[in-house]
Amino acid sequence: MSENPYVSYDARILEVKDLTPREKLFTLRFVDPEVGERFDFRPGQFVIVDLRGFGEFPISICSSPTRRGYFQLCIRKVGRMTKFIHRMKEGEVVGIRGPYGNGFPMEKMEGSNLILVAGGLGMAPLRSVLWYAIDSGKYEHIWLFYGTKAYEDILFRDEVVHLLKHGEAMNCSVKLAYEVESPSCIYLEKGFSDRVCKGVVTDLFRGEEFDVNNTYALICGPPVMYKFVIRELSDRKLSPGRIYMTLERRMRCGIGKCGHCIVGTSTSIKYVCRDGPVFTYWDALSTRGLI
Amino acid sequence: MRYIKLPAENFEEFFNSLKAWGKVYGPVKRGNIHSFQEVQRVKEMDLYYNRTMLPPKKFFVRPRDVILRLKNGKWENGVKNEPFVIFGVHSCDIHGLKILDKVYLDEPADPYYKARRESALIIGISCTPDEYCFCKSLGTDFAMDGFDLFLHELPDGWLVRVGSVRGHEIAWENEELFEEVTEEDLANFRAFEEKRAKSFKRKLSKEGLADMLDLAYNSPVWKKYADICLACGNCNMVCPTCRCYEVCDKWLNAYEAVRERRYDSCFMESHGLVAGGHNFRPTRLDRFRHRYYCKSYFDPSAGFNCVGCGRCDEFCPAGIEHVKVLDEVRGSLQ
Repeated sequence: MSENPYVSYDARILEVKDLTPREKLFTLRFVDPEVGERFDFRPGQFVIVDLRGFGEFPISICSSPTRRGYFQLCIRKVGRMTKFIHRMKEGEVVGIRGPYGNGFPMEKMEGSNLILVAGGLGMAPLRSVLWYAIDSGKYEHIWLFYGTKAYEDILFRDEVVHLLKHGEAMNCSVKLAYEVESPSCIYLEKGFSDRVCKGVVTDLFRGEEFDVNNTYALICGPPVMYKFVIRELSDRKLSPGRIYMTLERRMRCGIGKCGHCIVGTSTSIKYVCRDGPVFTYWDALSTRGLI
Repeated sequence: MRYIKLPAENFEEFFNSLKAWGKVYGPVKRGNIHSFQEVQRVKEMDLYYNRTMLPPKKFFVRPRDVILRLKNGKWENGVKNEPFVIFGVHSCDIHGLKILDKVYLDEPADPYYKARRESALIIGISCTPDEYCFCKSLGTDFAMDGFDLFLHELPDGWLVRVGSVRGHEIAWENEELFEEVTEEDLANFRAFEEKRAKSFKRKLSKEGLADMLDLAYNSPVWKKYADICLACGNCNMVCPTCRCYEVCDKWLNAYEAVRERRYDSCFMESHGLVAGGHNFRPTRLDRFRHRYYCKSYFDPSAGFNCVGCGRCDEFCPAGIEHVKVLDEVRGSLQ
C-alpha cells in the first residue's frame, strides 16, 4: 500500500461497542478515501494496529469484505496496548497497516458446505467468513459451532441469537456450547434445546454427519482446541486438505521479516504472518509445531 | 568473472581511493576481538583476521535502529542512502548477507535494508580458516557473487575478482593501479585455494541434514545441550544470518517519539509469547531446538541458514559447538 510497508494509514474510529466486559468492537474507516478504496481484504486476513508512540499489535479483521466502507476489529483487553485502545473514543484516529496474511480461500470453497468451529475469541476472524458466506450466497450450507465460557462471553451475542432464530432462512445453522451455567444460558438452552448445550465445542459434533466430499471446516480458537476439533473431523474422514485453521503467533512486522512467528523444523519453515495465518491441517501434519 | 591484479605497492592508494565512495569500514583489532570500524588508513586494519564479533549484518540490520520518527502525530520516514564501503569481508559473511537479502528484499522489501544494501560497496578478502570454521562443508567458503571486488592474496599483491558493474567501474576509475593477471598469478591463486581447502579442521555432515534433524525431534541430545545452554542469546547476536528483531516505541519528549528496532533472540522467553500469556516455546529446550532447526533449514534458492563462520562456537560462554550438537543428534538416531 505504501512505499514504506511499515508506515500506517490514519483510520478513524466510527463506533466503539462493548461486546463483553473484556472485548470491544471497533468500527473503523480510513481517513483518506483513496486508501479506503484500495483496502480490500479476504476473510481471515489481519491488520496491524499502530498506536503511534505506544506500539503496534496484529488483530484479525472481524467484519466481512462484502460490507464496504468500513471494517471492524474485535479487541480483547489483555495487555498494555489493548488497554490503551480500549480507552479510545469514537472520532479518534489510529494507524492501520495491512491487510496481511493469506486469508481463507473463499473462492475455492464456493458451492460447498462450510463448518465454522469457533472457540472464544476465535469467533472474531470466523465472523468475517460467516457474513461473507451468508452475504455472497455462494455456499451450500453453513454451520457455526461456537464454544464459549459463559453467556456473558458470547461475542456478537445479538448476531448469534439472531442466527439461532432465523439462520435457517439464510442457509446457516448455529450451535452453541457453554461451560458455565447461568440463568441466561438455561433460558437459551430451553428455547433451542437441539442446538444449545452445556459442554465444550466438540460436544456440538455429536450426532452430526457431513458430506465429506463437499465440506470444508474452518477452525479458530485457543491453541488447546485444535487437536480435539481436528480429531472429531478426522473421525468423520474429512481430508486434511479440507480443514483450515487460523493461527496466532507473536507478529511484529506482519510481512515475514522480524522472525517471531517462524514455526517448523529443518524440512519446512513457515512464517505464520506471511504463509498463514490460515493453514490446512495438512500443513500442520507436515510442519511440526504449527499446532 | 573478470580478474585483475593489484600489485602490493598500489594497495594503499587503492584503499585511499575508496574513500571517495563514502565512509570506509574495515576489520580492526581491539584487545582480542576484531570488529568492523571506520578506518582512515590501511595500517589501522588487521586484514589477517579470522572473524569479527558482529558480522557485517550490523551495517544493514543494525543492533538498534530508529526506523520512524513521530512528529505531529505522523510518522516520518527514516530511509537514508549514505554510501559506505565495507572492506575485507570474508566469503562466509558475503553468503550471510545473501541469506539476509532473501528475507529482507523479498516483497514487500524492507526499505531500510534495501537502501543500505544499495549504497554499500562490498570488498571481499581471502582468509585462512581457524579451528572454528566449517564454511567449506556448507559451500560458503568461496563467494561467486554478492561482492563488488574480492581480493585474494598473492605473494606480490592481490588477485582481484570483479563481481559487479560497480566493482568494474571502481577498477576502471583507478585503472593505473591495476595490472593484467599473469599465468603465474593464477597458479599462485590456485595453490593458495588448494592449501586453504585442506586446512579446514571442522566438518559438518550436511548429508540429509534437514530430514535427519526432523526425525530427531525427540532426541535426548537436545535436552542435554539445552541444560548446558545459558540462554544468553549470544549466538543469535553474532550470527550473520540471525535476523529476528523486536520493535518498540520510545518517547523522546512530550511531542516526539521514535519507533526503534533492535536485535531479538529466539532464546529469550518473550520470543514466542503472545497476548494473554500463552507461550509457543515455553521451555529452554523448545527454544534451543528451534534455533538449530532454523539454522539447518535448507532453502533451495538460498542454501542453509548457516554459513559455517564459527561465531556461535567462539562466542558461546557455555562452549556449545554447533557441529558437535548436530553430529550428536545424528548419532542419537543410530
